[in-house]
Amino acid sequence: MELINASLKTLRTMLDNKEISARELAKEYYDRIKKYDPELESYITVTDEQALSDADEAQKRIDEKNAAPLTGIPLAIKDNICTDGIRTTCASRMLENFVPPYNATVIEKLKGQNYVLLGKTSMDEFAMGGSTQTAAFSKTKNPYDITRVPGGSSGGSACAVGAKLAPAALGSDTGGSIRQPASFCGVTGLKPTYGRVSRYGLIAFASSLDQIGPIANSAEDCGILLNAIAGADAHDATSSPAPVEDYTALIGQDIKGLKIALPAEFYSDSTDDEVKSTVLSAAKEYERLGAELVQCNMSSLKYAVAAYYLISGAEAASNLSRFDGIKYGLRGEGKSFDEMIRDSRSKGFGAEVKRRILLGNYALSSGYYDAYYRKALALKQLIIKEYNDIFDKADVILTPTAPTAAYKIGEQESDPVKMYLADICTVTVNIASLPAISLPCGYNADGMPIGMSLVGKRFGEAVLIQTADAYQRGFKYEPNKYTGA
Amino acid sequence: MKLYPTIGLEIHAELLTQSKVFCTCSAQFGGEPNSRCCPVCSGLPGTLPVLNAKAVEYIIKAGYIMNCDISRFTKWDRKNYFYPDLPKAYQISQMPRPVCLGGYVDIESEGETKRMRINRIHLEEDAGKLVHQNRVSLADYNRCGIPLIEIVTEPDFHSAQDVTAFFEKIRLMLQYAGVCDGRLEQGSMRCDVNISLAEKGSDTLGTRTEVKNLNSLKAIQRAVEYEIYRQTELIENGERVIQETLHFNDATGETSSLRSKEDAHDYRYFPDPDIPPIIFTEEELEQIRADIPEMPQQRYDRYVGEYGISPTDASVIINNKAISDLFDNAVKAYNAPKPTASFITVELMRRINLGEANAEELPFAAKELARLIELAETGKISKDNRKVILREMLSSGKAPDDVAEELQLWIKEDNALIEKTVDEILAANPTPVEQYRSGQTKVFGFLMGQCNKALKGSASPAAIKQMLEKKLNS
Amino acid sequence: MDIKTIDHLCELSKLNYSDEEKQQVMREMGAIIELMDTVKQIDLTYDDTKDFNSIAFSQLRRDEAAPSFSPEKLLSNTDPEDGCYVVPKMVE
Repeated sequence: MELINASLKTLRTMLDNKEISARELAKEYYDRIKKYDPELESYITVTDEQALSDADEAQKRIDEKNAAPLTGIPLAIKDNICTDGIRTTCASRMLENFVPPYNATVIEKLKGQNYVLLGKTSMDEFAMGGSTQTAAFSKTKNPYDITRVPGGSSGGSACAVGAKLAPAALGSDTGGSIRQPASFCGVTGLKPTYGRVSRYGLIAFASSLDQIGPIANSAEDCGILLNAIAGADAHDATSSPAPVEDYTALIGQDIKGLKIALPAEFYSDSTDDEVKSTVLSAAKEYERLGAELVQCNMSSLKYAVAAYYLISGAEAASNLSRFDGIKYGLRGEGKSFDEMIRDSRSKGFGAEVKRRILLGNYALSSGYYDAYYRKALALKQLIIKEYNDIFDKADVILTPTAPTAAYKIGEQESDPVKMYLADICTVTVNIASLPAISLPCGYNADGMPIGMSLVGKRFGEAVLIQTADAYQRGFKYEPNKYTGA
Repeated sequence: MKLYPTIGLEIHAELLTQSKVFCTCSAQFGGEPNSRCCPVCSGLPGTLPVLNAKAVEYIIKAGYIMNCDISRFTKWDRKNYFYPDLPKAYQISQMPRPVCLGGYVDIESEGETKRMRINRIHLEEDAGKLVHQNRVSLADYNRCGIPLIEIVTEPDFHSAQDVTAFFEKIRLMLQYAGVCDGRLEQGSMRCDVNISLAEKGSDTLGTRTEVKNLNSLKAIQRAVEYEIYRQTELIENGERVIQETLHFNDATGETSSLRSKEDAHDYRYFPDPDIPPIIFTEEELEQIRADIPEMPQQRYDRYVGEYGISPTDASVIINNKAISDLFDNAVKAYNAPKPTASFITVELMRRINLGEANAEELPFAAKELARLIELAETGKISKDNRKVILREMLSSGKAPDDVAEELQLWIKEDNALIEKTVDEILAANPTPVEQYRSGQTKVFGFLMGQCNKALKGSASPAAIKQMLEKKLNS
Repeated sequence: MDIKTIDHLCELSKLNYSDEEKQQVMREMGAIIELMDTVKQIDLTYDDTKDFNSIAFSQLRRDEAAPSFSPEKLLSNTDPEDGCYVVPKMVE
């Protein structure tokens, strides 16, 4: 079996059986990164020296027959997750030289298993965007067509997995930032329930919506990663004390009788026909596997994009206020404090980040708060209620992950409103704090992957992974130029 | 036209927790710059606040002692503004759902009891400290994240005395509740004062100004008096009072403008998504209420009612928590409340008022003071010698028995010595002796004093008196 | 959306734009706010007591101080002076 197509489970066996050493495995990926990443630009920082010593540490543990599930497994990490001593940029000029003095909780957990850090992957600046083209550097390409976007904001992680420049990766998802790039790059991405994974050390975009999650080649691999990173954290008061399960435990159990809801609004005219028909044939496949399809509605969807941008913008405006050039980050010039921080922020942030800050401050400012921000919170309650109503009748919800497949670079970036509207399929999941998994369900006429999303009940990740896996067993993946035939 | 001031207060008090309100750094005062900091309180990207249970318990206690309603549902908001002492560029505070609402505190001011209403009390984090140098300012974040409560009153105050009496009362109550150390010199409590003037009886209030960050009783009093004077002058000269925020300059005794209403901040308060709202149960609140220590008024009642201490002495003692604690512990060690109270209020307070001792940092424990009282009450030393020993205890920290031994202050009841001394005194003072014997018995006191002095406390007054009477009447 | 509003938002956001950029930002923000206006089409009131994210008092962190961070490491992303962050002179 070719190494780069191996599942995490297979890699585990190969490492434990000494078919390959941790160092050899890491080097295999570095060779590929060296060869392909100059073109794809999925990584911002490649940590080869660190990785090889991590690999040697891991090897000791493997040799002691004391390996954890991820011991010696190389992973790529989105560049908004803080790594002690390793540059963490958020793909922003603002943090171009920022070296965090501490590790995010997820990094501590992975280090506890002796994983191997391959590098830090690119993203839309501060995770704001859906194309990875708002990055100040390393504007990642799509591995199926380098003239197209990889999606975003976790475009670097999705591309790295899609081009096999990493066996798996971590991303973060605020309004679709794991699922949409996973769908554009033909890989699987899981956005866990809000609170399932600690946010400590994730550089905040919108705190009530952000969640770290895995991007991998399969639902099973996502489950293995989620097992490693899930759990309550004393550093994150919003992390949930709900017990952590084995998220791969239900894999292989049949899904007969599972009720899958199809909310009509997600299959409207604003969704591309090819996408719609591909997702609907996947629904048929589920029916064939014994699931029952349930038609339903979600009338609040038409307000969701606005509610999402108001809430996330407000939180982002506040979260990004700390970047003033004084404590860290790009330091501008100016005689007074006011002049200096304006200069720092104007030079450090890109156009899209600035728009979000302006929008957020607009929504929160005196005279507009009730009409915008508070209304958005009311809509959040309505969206939660509508999801609850659907889950009274169904176990999971099936929707397209994005209204289109990957589009050409430069096609949308100049029109913010068009960009925002493209988030319609994913944002309600974050607003309602639910888990969702995106997996490939076909390819369009241009050969670009199409993704579908399964949305679960709160803390229902195991069922999502089971359901996604049931489909993936029969799915035929198209290779791209980096993965070969 | 008689102008009448209307004043409202915002009092900030730092809470006496071990750790900061949102991280585990020490909440102690001081330290090397940025040595009591971590990624959370320094506002590093990716960090998150985790609320300290004790800080919440303390604000609830503060609420109860000020007769507030405690909200069963409370949450935290972000107050957004840029300032270099605020590393996150927002302060975590509370807006629509503070922990405490309503309430009142009764004070004595201008000869009457006045009820001052509390609007709300909320919990927030303190900001850091800036040190201004020639070219630049330097930011130290040690104070960032120290828990603060903000007590907001209704505009029920009408004089500087109302304000200072209230501030002192609040300070004492918070100290007794164990919630705030009340150390004004360390900035543990600060007061913002809102003042407006209007004609007495008028239904509309005048334009108000806010004097920020007053941190001593004296500054509060001077600032209020100055601001009343300044606004009176303006109005009487036909000028307008401008709504603005003022700074009080301790050196000049005057206020100056920090910013006017036009550049008033738009703080864009919104719920902090990092901190889940809290729901309290009745049992939790009851438990906290039950844990509130005895308040000054209760102690006063106990001192006067149970111990029979004079109201004046009882007031002196309760008005200083450290002294009141000393008294209570001393009485616990040796049960003689009345002599203990009078010795404390007369002798110890004199030393403290003279600046020879600090009530918060006495070099001896309560049980040593109790021992000193006991020595005098049981006739081991003379009552006069208590103050000699006290001074030595204050300067050297030595135990009372050791001091008495060193200075030979024990009452010996040596009859031969007493007799010899009395004989000498009588021989040296023939005139008073003559006077006494001719019926002018008043001089007995003088002779008694002379003997006492010569014996340096080594004999009890009773023994001296007995000997003296015997000799004079023989 | 007018220049005055953009100027006010820039003040709140501490951002500078050139006059030319400001015109473009004004157009973009106008279109974005139009999209946001969608929320005005529905009549709803927000009740914060109906959010499900509350926790119990007993879940709060216990008050225990732990050692702080090394100041050198904490200030490693800036050029400190006397162990402090350096700010342009603030006028008292």
